[in-house]
Amino acid sequence: MSRRPRGRDERSLGASVALHATLLTATAIALFPVLWVFLASIKPQNAIQSSKVTLIDHPTLENYRHVLFDTSFPTWFLNSVVVAVFTMVIGMAMSATAGYALSRFNFPGKRGLMWVFLITQMFPVAILIVPIYSIMASLNLIDTKASLVIAYCTVAVPFCTWMLRGYFDTIPRDLDEAAALDGLGPFKTFWYVILPLARPGLAVTAFYTFLTAWGEVAYAIAFILSDKKLTLGAGLQQFVPQFNPQWDLLTAGAVLIMLPASLVFYFAQRHLVAGLTAGGTKG
Amino acid sequence: MSTPVVFDAATRVYPGSTTPAVDSLDLEVRAGEFLVLVGPSGCGKSTSLRMLAGLEDVTSGAIRIGERDVTHLRPKDRDIAMVFQSYALYPHLTVGENMGFALKIAGLSKAEITARVTDAAKVLDLEPYLDRKPKALSGGQRQRVAMGRAIVREPQVFLMDEPLSNLDAKLRVSTRTQIAALQRRLGITTVYVTHDQVEAMTMGDRVAVLKDGILQQVAAPLELYDKPANAFVAGFIGSPAMNLGTFRVEDGAAVIGEARVPLPRTATAALTESEVVLGFRPEALEMVAGYAPDAFAVEVLVAEELGSEAFLYGTLEGASLRDPQLVAKVAPRSVPPKGSRVHFRILPDRMHVFSPATGEALPTA
Amino acid sequence: MTTVISAGPGHEPGPARRGRVRRLLDRHWYAWAMVLPTVLVLGVLVLYPLFQGIYQSFTDLNETNNRDLICTQTLGGGEDCVPNPDRAQFVGLDNYVDLLTGERGHFWLLLVNTVVWTGACVFFHYTIGLGLAVLLNRTFRGRSLYRVLLIVPWAVPAFVSAFAWKFLFNPRFGLINSLLSNVGIDPVDWFNHRWTSMFAAIVTNVWLGVPFMMVAILGGLQSIPADLYEAAEMDGATPWQRFRHVTLPGLRPVSSTVILLGTIWTFNMFPIIFFVTGGEPAGETEILVTGAFRAAFEGLRNYSLAATYGVLILSMLVVYAAMYRRVLRSKGEVW
Ligand SMILES: Nc1ncnc2c1ncn2[C@@H]1O[C@H](COP(=O)(O)OP(=O)(O)OP(=O)(O)O)[C@@H](O)[C@H]1O
Ligand SMILES: [Mg+2]
Repeated sequence: MSRRPRGRDERSLGASVALHATLLTATAIALFPVLWVFLASIKPQNAIQSSKVTLIDHPTLENYRHVLFDTSFPTWFLNSVVVAVFTMVIGMAMSATAGYALSRFNFPGKRGLMWVFLITQMFPVAILIVPIYSIMASLNLIDTKASLVIAYCTVAVPFCTWMLRGYFDTIPRDLDEAAALDGLGPFKTFWYVILPLARPGLAVTAFYTFLTAWGEVAYAIAFILSDKKLTLGAGLQQFVPQFNPQWDLLTAGAVLIMLPASLVFYFAQRHLVAGLTAGGTKG
Repeated sequence: MSTPVVFDAATRVYPGSTTPAVDSLDLEVRAGEFLVLVGPSGCGKSTSLRMLAGLEDVTSGAIRIGERDVTHLRPKDRDIAMVFQSYALYPHLTVGENMGFALKIAGLSKAEITARVTDAAKVLDLEPYLDRKPKALSGGQRQRVAMGRAIVREPQVFLMDEPLSNLDAKLRVSTRTQIAALQRRLGITTVYVTHDQVEAMTMGDRVAVLKDGILQQVAAPLELYDKPANAFVAGFIGSPAMNLGTFRVEDGAAVIGEARVPLPRTATAALTESEVVLGFRPEALEMVAGYAPDAFAVEVLVAEELGSEAFLYGTLEGASLRDPQLVAKVAPRSVPPKGSRVHFRILPDRMHVFSPATGEALPTA
Repeated sequence: MTTVISAGPGHEPGPARRGRVRRLLDRHWYAWAMVLPTVLVLGVLVLYPLFQGIYQSFTDLNETNNRDLICTQTLGGGEDCVPNPDRAQFVGLDNYVDLLTGERGHFWLLLVNTVVWTGACVFFHYTIGLGLAVLLNRTFRGRSLYRVLLIVPWAVPAFVSAFAWKFLFNPRFGLINSLLSNVGIDPVDWFNHRWTSMFAAIVTNVWLGVPFMMVAILGGLQSIPADLYEAAEMDGATPWQRFRHVTLPGLRPVSSTVILLGTIWTFNMFPIIFFVTGGEPAGETEILVTGAFRAAFEGLRNYSLAATYGVLILSMLVVYAAMYRRVLRSKGEVW
């Protein structure tokens, strides 16, 4: 029996198997830790730390009940949502406007600004905590969500600006010029013409700013003093006393933390490739 | 209610460059006129147009639209519409929204916008497409949307920067006539940029020829063809291009091969060198049988037979020319074969004489 | 008497300097307005502390001497302040000398750790990311599902991944040790030895960072025009040669930026080391950032020493970035 000749875009069975085998392995590794935490979270407390490792062991939602009703978890969760959403909105607004200015206008100070962005990525955040703390204190912002939102913006905005600038660079300047002739000033052009076209870039920015704020620990511990105002990252640290981590609470909490992150991720992921690259191809 | 446009010594020097991209441009576009800016690539056509649109700063000089000095006005305050080479349609808006966008920004009522967009769409045969996004249109349709966006504005001036260059040859020809007709009907002053001299000749009321940022000549198409102001314009306008060559001058006649071609007395009088630049169009050559004192021999390299007309490409024999290539228009269907040797003479009143030093046309009458 | 003929904007009378400022403002005000919020926030919260940190690194500032004034409540409810006699003093390069000679802290140990950590992480991020991106750049069924699933680690907050992996590496009930014993290898006490501990941290960070690289490179791959591959194929290039001569050069703009950024980020990656190894065993897996953090927050809070770490880190990265740029430029890369 004669074999059908292989088309250009087809590959041999062996290559196909190898491709899928590699990707399946990679996917398994990517998902496994998450899955394992989930599996642990539905084990009874003593089974998590048993030295006999099992996949599923008396599945129960007890840990979740415990986290949700016996701790401040819901409050922390709400705090985190507020902080992350505000960081996302403010961070996007800041990086989009700055990115647009950097992409379209030649203004004195532009080069310096680009350098500042790079330098801010270089100075370790861990060390900035103390001085930022004193600044926040003098602004009376300690123990407020605003302090966190502002601090997270400093972390996320440089990269987002740089990435959005790359994205805006891919939008033809003709459109700005057409808009200028249609009677729009720079701000209206940005709002009516550029932003609607920059959705992929904005989606990545949203994703990035949200995640920056969502799981952050160091600033949150430093700036927030009262239990009721803690965010998730900081709150969960209470489950990790030095010698006796409460794995039952931790695992359940970790799974609950990942849910909103996955939601944001789900909406952004379609755009990630297009959005990030434009930034990546431009220095 | 159309408006004239004046470039008054308008100059544009790009930052970081020393030579001006447009050098002291003096040009008046009359009210309601269709003026074509033409010239080779990089000569500053787009820059001139963009200065008028306000998209490029004017380094020195002034630009006026009607009575208004617009030199330092923002584009949006100039009441100008422009058709871009890339069309620059907003990808996220439908055709209708694209066309009505400027009106919406200007704060017109919904009903008014709809009425004007529908009118324009009717004129441009775009009615079936009003709800589509530009992505779902063909090149020609996008071009018409770009036109529509300009005409709904009813601006004082239309600007178009090579609006046809993305269309295929056939569509370009038909769109060309549509645009010209539309402009005549609307009577709006129009500046049109192209590098295609056929477009320039067929569309413009007048044509302005630019080279290296300097205006060479402004005239009606036929005048440009018949009385080019210098050798550059002569060579640029017309297809196939005018034959141009530098020849020795002896006793008031140019030496072309073995032939002596008498020059007009006015021209020799103005001539300071012993050489002259002669220009003659392909159709200004006449084939002669056998010998004549002013006829020169040409060896045929290629014959282009088009049915209604024919062109011979040949080398000028015995000529001390840098480029001895020559094009002649001959009667079709009896073209001399390749490799044969034929004689031509220049029709005396169809000859152009230019100074070899300046390239300026010398008086022939 | 002088007559001033005012001719519209840009021709304002007055000193040339004011005219210039005005013109600049006229032209650029909207650009400046657009970057203003970012500049303000970064200026106040990053640049100012940064310069402050540089200054502090030349002092002996710590928890006990950080007040300029000592205030006591007076009976009337007011405050009575006197200058603090023990306030922080300028000590010149002492902090740097102490750090670099090992007088205080373990700078060189931390530096070696940091370099190993950064080098290994960036290397694996890039190679694995590149490999996966190349695979995902082909067309086959299930491609977009693979892509989504492979990006998942990016969406997991860093400290959650740190916990997850610490859990997996747990010497007593971790899955990894139980798998090892299943295949007959002795369980490893991961956090009891410098390099196994570092290994665990690197694995965690690689897991966390590959998706970003993969997505960025995937985008870079998609921006390489398909006809380049076709041309190379017509020239008889083998798949490997095509990868070598079309893919890699085409990726260079993306690669050069993500590698630079990746290096900077990993160099300063705090949570993974902090949560996964916590420096175990006995501080042998600390990197510079975590060392600085401990100086600033543990025991007697020594702000000046932390700042010194920060300045050293910053200067190393600046030098690195400048060299990186120069190398790229010598290879004809514009950046
Ligand atoms: N932004 C710019 N910066 C510096 N120089 C420029 C810039 N834009 C154009 N130029 C230069 O100015 C000159 C004129 O350019 P212009 O775009 O007006 O040419 P053009 O006549 O429209 O050519 P084409 O037919 O190719 O479109 C060219 O030499 C070009 O290199
Ligand atoms: Mg042009």
